[in-house]
Amino acid sequence: MGQVLRFDYDGLIQETRVHSSVYTDQRVLDDEMDQIFRKGWVFVCHASEIPGSGDYVRRQLGRDPVFAIRATDGTVSVIENRCAHRGNIICVEEKGTRKALVCQYHGWAYDTKGTLIDVPHPEGFKADFTCSSLKRMPKVEEYRGFIFGSFNDDVPPLSEHLGRASELIDRAVEMSPTQELDLSGGWVKHLVGCNWKMMPENDTDGYHVSFVHPSFAEAIRSNYDSAVLESEEDTKSESKAWGGGHTELYFAPAYDRELEWFGCKEDRYPAYTKAMKAAYGDKLGGEKLVEGPPHAVIFPNLFLGEMNIVMFQPVSVTECLHLHTPMMLGGVDTEVNSRIVRQSEGAMGPTGFLLADDSVIAERTQNALEGNGGWLDLARGMHREFVDDNGITTSHLTDETPNREFWRHYKSVMLAE
Amino acid sequence: MKVTIEERMDVEGFLFKEARYADESRYSDWESLVDDDMHYWIPLAGNQAEGELQVSILNDNRPRLATRIRQLNTGVRHAQLPVSRMCRTVSNIEIEKMEDGSFHVLTNTVLFEERTQTAAGLSVSWPARVEYKLRYKDGELKMFLKKVMLLNSEGPLRGIGFLL
Repeated sequence: MGQVLRFDYDGLIQETRVHSSVYTDQRVLDDEMDQIFRKGWVFVCHASEIPGSGDYVRRQLGRDPVFAIRATDGTVSVIENRCAHRGNIICVEEKGTRKALVCQYHGWAYDTKGTLIDVPHPEGFKADFTCSSLKRMPKVEEYRGFIFGSFNDDVPPLSEHLGRASELIDRAVEMSPTQELDLSGGWVKHLVGCNWKMMPENDTDGYHVSFVHPSFAEAIRSNYDSAVLESEEDTKSESKAWGGGHTELYFAPAYDRELEWFGCKEDRYPAYTKAMKAAYGDKLGGEKLVEGPPHAVIFPNLFLGEMNIVMFQPVSVTECLHLHTPMMLGGVDTEVNSRIVRQSEGAMGPTGFLLADDSVIAERTQNALEGNGGWLDLARGMHREFVDDNGITTSHLTDETPNREFWRHYKSVMLAE
Repeated sequence: MKVTIEERMDVEGFLFKEARYADESRYSDWESLVDDDMHYWIPLAGNQAEGELQVSILNDNRPRLATRIRQLNTGVRHAQLPVSRMCRTVSNIEIEKMEDGSFHVLTNTVLFEERTQTAAGLSVSWPARVEYKLRYKDGELKMFLKKVMLLNSEGPLRGIGFLL
């Protein structure tokens, strides 16, 4: 904290353009690790990944390896994954269940909140062990099952970070009649040779779809035909800036019947539609079934990708991971969740009908930006933005409203004391 | 059941042809080796059971596989523009003949890939244990399962736009 910023964020990130060096300069990544991934809130995991006491999952947050673990009292701690003694990794497997955490190097043992409980051969030590616990993330908050953390003691509350965008999480959670999500389906780790910021930008870019995905458009009939593949005049979907760097492509205006977003007829899953109406009432339940799930980025590392949840993870200046898991629903038949999993496998990840193409375009862009680089345009659609009935800045699907929102917020975070 | 020498030659011939069609990005030729009940599967975890609510890297039934090949054949699938230069080495071929006359085959396969789509000089190798199920149909072998168990299935994985 309080480090000297070494890069001209003010000059190189402007309202209508951004300089390519923000994607290529090592100093920028170094600053991001502190300003974004340590000082701010980041998405860590979902409660359904660690349902039982002692359940843990490993994560990489910025440069820090951590694990999230549920203690016997049900609370979740996010703990730096290095022994307080000599720094060895404590949790080796990606996920698992532990009653206690024992380091495999010298056998130091900790409870599920990271407190030191046993040291082999204690006569050799003169130190006071009360300060030898594992380092916990000082701030951990959960919003409707989504667990966020910050390494910053003084970070404002999560509600302030999410702002109005908490409504996007609400919309995702309320695709389930029981308001429960199940993110235990496993994460596919897609390595992409581009700077991590291209991923949140691309995931809410409505302009590229017909150019990057023509093979998809030609080979497959889907809900995207009406949502994102119409001509400029006929497009009803919108792009939205929710503030705080949170962005969305809003497809609902293009949908006029229930389950269109699910790529099936409205009577395909009667038990699901009935349960939704029983849970939320005929009117609201019906509206949710037409509107569908959000397609939205929660700054900086979470993408609510319709029926997928995605994490962005920087690896180096020129590499990142795009990790996805299907967003399965509580309170529905297995056949609904099976369809969600199969759709996730179709669209997402290294083999995906969509993401395999996005990643190649991102890699080409990254390569092109090396050297002197240049300016990237952000101005599209500035003249036709408006504030919707809900108070959210909105524009045509293909406008760069989400990019501008991302960079406006990014700049304020990078320049913050 | 005992595998005859002729059957072994047929199975090996099938595997090498399948590898060559994949190496040469001959998508429709590759599809001609597939039976109507094909399951083309790249699981995420080695011990993943079929049909459970766990995500796979790829999990195509026959219609989904037809879509995948249709997409590749559009000529505008950026993930394979231009196509990767590929070389598969298929080895350690173990063949079991089942009661119904079909063959359960295990191989060790290494795919060497030169990724031509972005920057020059990026080579990736994809070692895998591969499981096939084959049967004779009208005198020709067809596959109805190809399960590719990548050594690094849990990632990080670069794009797999080709037929693995």
